[in-house]
Amino acid sequence: MKIGLGGITGNPVALGIAVAVLALLAFVPLLHNGYYENLFRGVLMFATLSLGWNIIGGYTGYVSFGNVVFFGLGAYTTAALWQHAQVQNIAIDVVVAIVVAALFAVILGFPILRLKGHYFGIATLGIALATEEIIENIDWLGGGSGFTIRQVDAFWTYYVAMWCVCAASMLATYLIARSKLGYALVAIRENEEAAAVLGVDATRYKIIAWAISGAMAAAAGAVYAGSNGFIDGPTAFGIDNNVFPIVMTILGGVGTVAGPVFGALILTAINETLWSHFPQIHTLFFGAVIVLVVLFLPRGILWLFGVRNGWRSIVGSFGQYRV
Amino acid sequence: MSAAVYLSVDDVGMRFGGLAALDGVSFAVERGAVVGLIGPNGSGKTTLMNVISGVYKPTGGSVTFAGKRIADVPTHRVCQLGIARTFQVVKPFANLSVRENVAVGAMYGREGTTRSTRAAFDHAQELLEVVGLARVAERPASDLTIPDRKRLEVAKALALDPEVLLLDEVMAGLNAVEVEEALALLRTVNERGVTLIVVEHLMKAIVSISTTIVVLAEGKKIAEGAPADVLASPQVIEAYLGTRYASRQAAKNAGAAP
Amino acid sequence: MELFAQDLVNGLLAGGIFAVVALGFSLVWGIMNIINLAHGAFVMLGAYTAFVLFSAWNVDPFVSVPIAFVVLFVLGYALQRFILNFVVRAPILTTFLLTFGLSLLIVNIVLLVFHGDIKGITTAYSGANFALGPVTVAWTKLFTLVAALLITALMQLFLTRTKTGRAIRATSMDIGAAQLSGVRVAHLYAIVFGLGAGLAGAAGALISLSYSLQPSMGDPFVISAFVVCVLGGLGSVSGALVGGLVYGVLEAFGSQYVGTGVQDAVALVVLLIVLIVRPTGIMGRAAA
Repeated sequence: MKIGLGGITGNPVALGIAVAVLALLAFVPLLHNGYYENLFRGVLMFATLSLGWNIIGGYTGYVSFGNVVFFGLGAYTTAALWQHAQVQNIAIDVVVAIVVAALFAVILGFPILRLKGHYFGIATLGIALATEEIIENIDWLGGGSGFTIRQVDAFWTYYVAMWCVCAASMLATYLIARSKLGYALVAIRENEEAAAVLGVDATRYKIIAWAISGAMAAAAGAVYAGSNGFIDGPTAFGIDNNVFPIVMTILGGVGTVAGPVFGALILTAINETLWSHFPQIHTLFFGAVIVLVVLFLPRGILWLFGVRNGWRSIVGSFGQYRV
Repeated sequence: MSAAVYLSVDDVGMRFGGLAALDGVSFAVERGAVVGLIGPNGSGKTTLMNVISGVYKPTGGSVTFAGKRIADVPTHRVCQLGIARTFQVVKPFANLSVRENVAVGAMYGREGTTRSTRAAFDHAQELLEVVGLARVAERPASDLTIPDRKRLEVAKALALDPEVLLLDEVMAGLNAVEVEEALALLRTVNERGVTLIVVEHLMKAIVSISTTIVVLAEGKKIAEGAPADVLASPQVIEAYLGTRYASRQAAKNAGAAP
Repeated sequence: MELFAQDLVNGLLAGGIFAVVALGFSLVWGIMNIINLAHGAFVMLGAYTAFVLFSAWNVDPFVSVPIAFVVLFVLGYALQRFILNFVVRAPILTTFLLTFGLSLLIVNIVLLVFHGDIKGITTAYSGANFALGPVTVAWTKLFTLVAALLITALMQLFLTRTKTGRAIRATSMDIGAAQLSGVRVAHLYAIVFGLGAGLAGAAGALISLSYSLQPSMGDPFVISAFVVCVLGGLGSVSGALVGGLVYGVLEAFGSQYVGTGVQDAVALVVLLIVLIVRPTGIMGRAAA
């Protein structure tokens, strides 16, 4: 990422490509192909989740290992609204989900965001696990067997909804990165103490960042639940939705606008290939992918855009953290 | 410009567990002054800087500025009062460009809260010219040399539009030429109306720039006044060079008196 | 009242395992600042080692404990020496993800080899228990606790009385000074990670009698290890022991009075309270 050229939004060329990709994806419903609709809905969903994680993990530097909790809350919001309030409107689902997520982030943010580094990571993981457990124990929310939601609209409606959520998330990330808020977050990430001395109210901005990241994830979850027709604990709070966004953001480029989108695209492509050719060991391969990405591409693919000797630099930087 | 008490350090004490890093330190800073804060290693200079800038809350006494006690203000609001500081161990935002580093302060400092992002960057550029970093504005902060990093620290602090600037060993690690440049910069800043409190080990530098000098030893203030007087004071000599040297010196002076 | 006593005893008995698992986790975290998300997988491997030895050669699980320790030690040493040492000083995200990826790899390899069906070990004495007043104590659980205490004591001796143990402690305090004193840090780190893995493996072998085996069985142990480390403080063997016992008891009571499905929630609440009220833990120092 060439410093100064795109500021903290990232390389403008990459950004342009990401926007183009997004625009292209808008036309998928016209293909009338169920497989592609499902596949790219997944891409859009993971792109949104990654963009969300990117706000708190990438820009603010608070590595959350439990952002799936927001996705789950969003999914259950749709389910609960459908089941108990007979609401079948995707837009309402999304709005309520966002509110729920934001409240959750604000309330829990005060104690949790005071923790640093490892502690924050595990605390968020714990929150995700605990919330899943608690929800599974509440019958009003489906208990252990989950909810079935009768799909009211055609699938392509959900696709469009997911596209809108993704586009909105990308736009939000872009606006934030260009704004004072964006710089506050990055300052917190780079050096929280120095940021405080420069006038940045870290607590306030961290909570805002977490709330925004949660809102994105919840919106994705709300749409997903409707399109999937069924949710339960593992579906909503599953480990895939937790870890994939992190790996995708890293692969694509942390702390940029386009990075999460690229990461989602690439990793979904890899995932699909693995699923179709090696269904048995697909998760195993994924573990290997994670290990390789972390070892060799810790700054993500976008990093290559700004670096002249791409491959050589990867090899050269490998081992910079070794003992 | 009134010469009334502007920033006041009143009986400040700072204990860490059983250790008293500061004990009953009091002095007043006049507007527009350059106060040199000196003392042997471990005398509490950086601790005092931390108290004045609100990073530490003193366990005893208080620091008052603009009618407010600093300890009552949360750390991130201290710059709104008008106090800014640099750190001895520089804290740049490594992955941001030099200009972006300064812009952050310009966005959140005293006048920063009303500035737009664009205006903050313009202000940052201005300050880069003042400190002499305009040529590296686009580079990542992690690329800078040590003297440039120190300049960046000063620029970031200036971005807060401070009335009082605390400088913690800004000249450490600089060679003679760089020290001169640093002094020139500080004089420029002071002429722009900023009151300075400077912690330094380099005697010549401090003497050449300060209007008043405060000496700390073992957490207590042992002298305060004009540079020449303070440096000739026997307690100060004793604190730096030891009791035997001081008494030898005193004997020499007594013997030399006509 | 009887129920209370029963829960207390069960909690203490289980606590020994949590202590051993947490000790391994604490060593790696305290000395190398690595939070090993694959630690649970190591426990699982230890259990499966015992299972294999039992099914193939009828080896009693308690005898498998030292074997599992050695097997996991070797694995851990290799992992650290050839993979983790390259990212030891990297930001936490890197080590988090790396150990997570390793965990995925390990669990899925086991899944491939052993399939996901639940297995178990039953020995002649599996169901035997005795009465201690109003409370029933299972022999296996008691032996497990004794073994756990023994392991903890041995670890303490190792860290304080042997040359390697002292080198480990020195490195954790000041890596630069340790290197200057001739400590080969890369090798030492690998030993530490090996010890951590070995302890997890030993714990796994111990629990193979009381828990059912499946590839994902190790997952809850990472969270519990983390909570115990926070409770007991890092870098303290006694802290891990006390923390483990306390955690075991809390879990037992939590299951009884709040409900069995919410262990993680209970653990989390405990964790949060401790982190906010007393970040240095009950006995040791806090992590950096």
